[in-house]
This record gives sequence, C-alpha cells and structure tokens, in this order.
Amino acid sequence: MSILENIKIALSSIMVHKMRSFLTMLGIIIGISSVIFIVALGQGGTEQLKSLFVGPGNTISLTYLPSEEEIQKNPELLWSPFTEEDIRAIESIPEVLQVVASNEYFGTLRYREKQEDVYIAGINQAYIEVNELNVASGRNLLSSDFLGARRTAVINAASAEEFFGDKNPLGEIIYLDSQPFEVVGVLEKPEGLFAAFDTFTVYIPWETLRAITGDRNISTITIQAKNTEDLQTAGEKAARLLNQIHGTDEAYQVLNMEQIAEGLGQITGIMTMIIGSIAGISLLVGGIGVMNIMLVSVTERTREIGIRMALGATRGQILLQFLIESITLTLIGGIIGIILGMIGATIVSAFIGFSLTVSLPVILIGVGFSMLIGIVFGILPANKASNLDPIESLRYE
Amino acid sequence: MIELEAITKTFTNGPEKVDVLKNIHLTIEEGEFIAIMGPSGSGKSTLMNIIGFLDRPSSGRYFLNGKEMKNMTDQELARIRNRTIGFVFQQFHLLPRLTALKNVELPLIYAGVKKRERLERAKEALEKVGLAERIDYLPNKLSGGQKQRVAIARAIVNHPQIILADEPTGALDSKTSAQIMELFTKLNREEGTTIVVVTHERGVAAYADRIVYVKDGKITQDGSESTPGGGIK
Ligand SMILES: Nc1ncnc2c1ncn2[C@@H]1O[C@H](COP(=O)(O)OP(=O)(O)O)[C@@H](O)[C@H]1O
Ligand SMILES: [Mg+2]
Repeated sequence: MSILENIKIALSSIMVHKMRSFLTMLGIIIGISSVIFIVALGQGGTEQLKSLFVGPGNTISLTYLPSEEEIQKNPELLWSPFTEEDIRAIESIPEVLQVVASNEYFGTLRYREKQEDVYIAGINQAYIEVNELNVASGRNLLSSDFLGARRTAVINAASAEEFFGDKNPLGEIIYLDSQPFEVVGVLEKPEGLFAAFDTFTVYIPWETLRAITGDRNISTITIQAKNTEDLQTAGEKAARLLNQIHGTDEAYQVLNMEQIAEGLGQITGIMTMIIGSIAGISLLVGGIGVMNIMLVSVTERTREIGIRMALGATRGQILLQFLIESITLTLIGGIIGIILGMIGATIVSAFIGFSLTVSLPVILIGVGFSMLIGIVFGILPANKASNLDPIESLRYE
Repeated sequence: MIELEAITKTFTNGPEKVDVLKNIHLTIEEGEFIAIMGPSGSGKSTLMNIIGFLDRPSSGRYFLNGKEMKNMTDQELARIRNRTIGFVFQQFHLLPRLTALKNVELPLIYAGVKKRERLERAKEALEKVGLAERIDYLPNKLSGGQKQRVAIARAIVNHPQIILADEPTGALDSKTSAQIMELFTKLNREEGTTIVVVTHERGVAAYADRIVYVKDGKITQDGSESTPGGGIK
C-alpha cells in the first residue's frame, strides 16, 4: 500500500468531515501561524536592532567617556573631544575607509517672522554618504560648499513643512543663530518606524560653522571601515590612537560589538522563549485536538478497519493509514498556518516599516513541526486502530 | 488442504465462559464445494472465522496446506487473508465511500499490485460477476444482489484458493440467492476454487457437494448428501 494511496484515503476522509477537520486544524493553524509570524518579525526586528547599534553603512562610533581624573587633567577635552587633526590621523589607519564627523547642537532657525529651535548639524562630506542623506528637491551639499565654507544649508522634510508650508524653500534665506544661509536642498521624508521622530534638522558644512563661529569642535566621530570584518579592529585602533594623541588612558572608546552581540543574543533568547511558549501551548492544544478527533475517527471506522483487515491489510498498514491521516490533517493545518503567519507578518512589517524575513528555514520548520505533531499525536489513535481485533471490528455496529 | 484437529473456541463473557466450538474435526479437500448448516448461534460463523484466519482457536490445531496456523505471525495471517482466502459476508461489508471498482481493488492494493494491473484485474473480476456496467457506482446505488456480487468480485480478484461465504444469501430474495449460488458453482466448476458456504437454507445448501451440520458447537453430521442438480426452485 503506497503512501500516495494512504494520502488519498486521508484526504477523502478529511473531506467527508470538512467542518470537523477544519476545527481540528484550528489549533495547529494558530500555533504554526504564530510561530511563523513571530519568527519572521523577530528576525526582522533583530536586523533592525542590529542596524541601530552598528550604524548605517558599516560604521562604528567613537565615544569620549572620560573618568573623573581625566576630566580634571584635560578639562578642555570635555567640550571639544575631537579635532580636525584627529580625523586626519584616523584616516591614515589602513582599515579605515573614511571618517564621518559632525558638530551637532540646538540653535534657532528664523525664516521671516517664524522662529523655532532646530537641530543644527555641521557635517563633513562623508556624513552625507554614510547617513544616506538624499535630497527630494534641490541639491545636496557639494565639495565646493565644504571647501569654500559656503553659507548653504540642506533642511529635512519636517523643517521644510514647518517653515515653508506649500512654498518652495529652495533659494530662500534662513537665519541660523542669526547667520544667513541659503536653502539649497530639502531631504526626502523618512519612512518606517522612526518617521514620527523626524525632528527639525538643518545640515550645513562643518567648515562654514567653524568659519562663522570659530568653533572648531567636533562632537561625533564615526568610522567607516573598508571591510565589515575590520570594523571592530579599525574602531579599536582609532580609539588607541586618540588616547595616544590626547594623552588619555581610556577616555576614547569604541562600542564593543561583542557586547552588543551578546545583548542582542539575550533579546533574541527572550523572544525565542516567548515564541516557544506561545507555539508550544497552541501546538499542544492543537495536537490534543488532533488526537481526540483521530480517536473518534478510529472508533467510527472500526468496521472499515475490520473489513480492511479481512481483505489482507496488516497491522502495520492500518497503523500507517491512520498515521498518514493525522499527518495530512496537521500538515494542511500547518500550511494554512504558514500562509496566515506570513500574511500577518507582511501586514505588520509594512506598518512598522522594517523588512520582514520569511526565510525558507522558517517555512521548513513550520512544515516539519506540523508533521511532527501529526506523528506524535497520531501514533496513539493509529496504534489503537492497528490493534483492533478483526472479528470484533467486523461485528461493530 | 484444510485440516482442523480438535478445534475449540471459548469466549469469556465476564465471569462466565462459553464453549462455542467443542472438539471440531474437519477436513476440506481442494476443489470441494461445502455447505455448513446449523441453527442460529450454533457456532458456524465462529468456525468460519477461524478457517478464514480472522480468529484464532482456543485450542486444537489448524493446518492450511500443511502449515500450522499457531506458528504464524499476524503478518502471515494477513497475507493468507489477502491471497489464499476470499471472504464473502452476509452484510456485504463494502466500504461505502468507495466505488464498486475501488472496493474490488482493495485486496490488490494490500497485495502491492501496481495501479494499471489493479485496474485491469478489478474490471475483469467485476465482469465475471456480471457487473461490468456498474464499476463506478457507490454501494448505496446498488441493489442487495449487486452489492453481494461486488463483494464476490472482491473476494475472487486475488485468485484465492478458497472462498468462505458466511450466509451470503441471508439478506437476499430467493431469485437473487439463486444467481449468487450459481456464481459460486461456476467458480467451483470452472476455476476449481474451493468454496465453503454457511447457510441455514436447505435450498442454498443444495448447491454444495457436501453438507456439514453444526449444532451446539459440534459437528453432528458430515456427508455428501446433496441432491444433484438441486437448487432453489
Ligand atoms: N466475541 C464473542 N464473545 C462472546 N460470545 C460470542 C462471541 N462471538 C460469538 N459468540 C457466541 O457464540 C455463539 C455462536 O455464535 P456464531 O458463531 O455467530 O453462531 P452462528 O453463526 O452459528 O449463528 C453465540 O452464542 C454467540 O453469542
Ligand atoms: Mg453466523
């Protein structure tokens, strides 16, 4: 008796009791779909978290975290931890591709009668590329803006809306802390999870900022490595170099990727536990439902079993028939669950705006799991069927 | 071919034990056409089930083609039910959701016969019982006599040595009964199939060459006393 024949028998008996079969599958459907849903979102979420820590474009941030003593020793460093010379020094590290630097602070933006606090970022050119600042209209800051310390500014979409409304901001003059700048570009509206946090921001060349205010300060330095594998090395080398230059001990630091990885591992671990318990409970309940309905099915079909035995079915063949029936039942439930889980994850990920990962392994896990449940909870009813006495079964009313 | 030696069968119903078969000795040769007669409850079906390897005796020895049943595994019993013996029941015992053809295919499926050959042989068996036109009918669309003919087709499809029919005409009118018995006779005469029929109707038993009487779990009479050319008239 081939597997295919058994699957046909299974499908026909499932089709005879459509409603009953569907209700039986419900637990499996819920269980598997929640597994797929959460695993898919979990993976997408982990990617998102990673990107938050690692930074865009394979970068790592240097931080200045001095101890009490170091503050006392070098009080001026607290206000200006990084210098232009630092950037040049770091750029000479072989693993480093480029250094992103900026001086960011809150200031006021005035346009005609309107005035508001905005976030002013004096940036270098690498900043634009690494942070993927793309203009929706106008142009981006160019080399000539940086080298010539021009009074040009790119504003983000939120600021454009706030200060200019429907008017075209390009070519307009705005005042940043009373200094006139020409708006040359407006950035694209950000999408996704952080769209709501798009604060008013204005980007100007760092050189311009320095020229106007005399402020040579650089508040953040981010290093982009040539290769992903070298990122940590590049960061550590840079931190060591800065400590050497400034005569500090361990004031310049780089985020430890291993610690982040460990932290992420913990988050993932908690997530896995939650997945595990939701899936476990619903699959257990679903499995018991399958077992229950299969026991009912065996009882209802006692006579059929007797007839099959009288015609030469072995106990093994009867066992296989009912086992395949329960596997078919849970597998159909599992496939429906996978589809629903994927649909759910797609919808939710579209809302919160991060990419969703429904990987083949996840689907295979779903399929494998539902089959396993069919086996585990089908074995008892199947065994009961195969141990029926042929005569008793034939006489069964 | 079939040898029963001192076969007994005891059922335990709670505290009380019922001896349904008591010291049965019976030998059936290849190609025989036997009727087993006796009052209701005398143990005929129990005897048939043991002969048909559906049940095991409580004691005694049963040899089929020289091999003793006691030493056989469940799997071997299943194989004999599949290949050597064809069963026909009073209640037909067709699977209600399968067409006539699919019902007849069942023993071939368990014999591991490939689909194409299965189809051919099942059709052939249905032709033999005169149901070539009804192969796609579900059992509930067939008359009693037609159902029993499907059951007979199913019993013969694997070319068994023996056909065991337990009151095959019990649910049929006399005209249909005659057709069924003529079918058995034909199988016996033309293919040499050994046939054992349980009945309590004299007219049905008359088709057989030998009648065995069972009463109270014992064989009371065994002989070839049928009227030649007899039947239900
Ligand atoms: N599984 C069983 N348990 C208890 N008693 C049974 C069982 N099967 C049959 N009997 C009893 O054995 C007797 C013979 O039954 P059976 O062989 O069916 O008789 P027949 O076919 O001659 O009418 C009956 O009294 C019946 O009640
Ligand atoms: Mg009987």
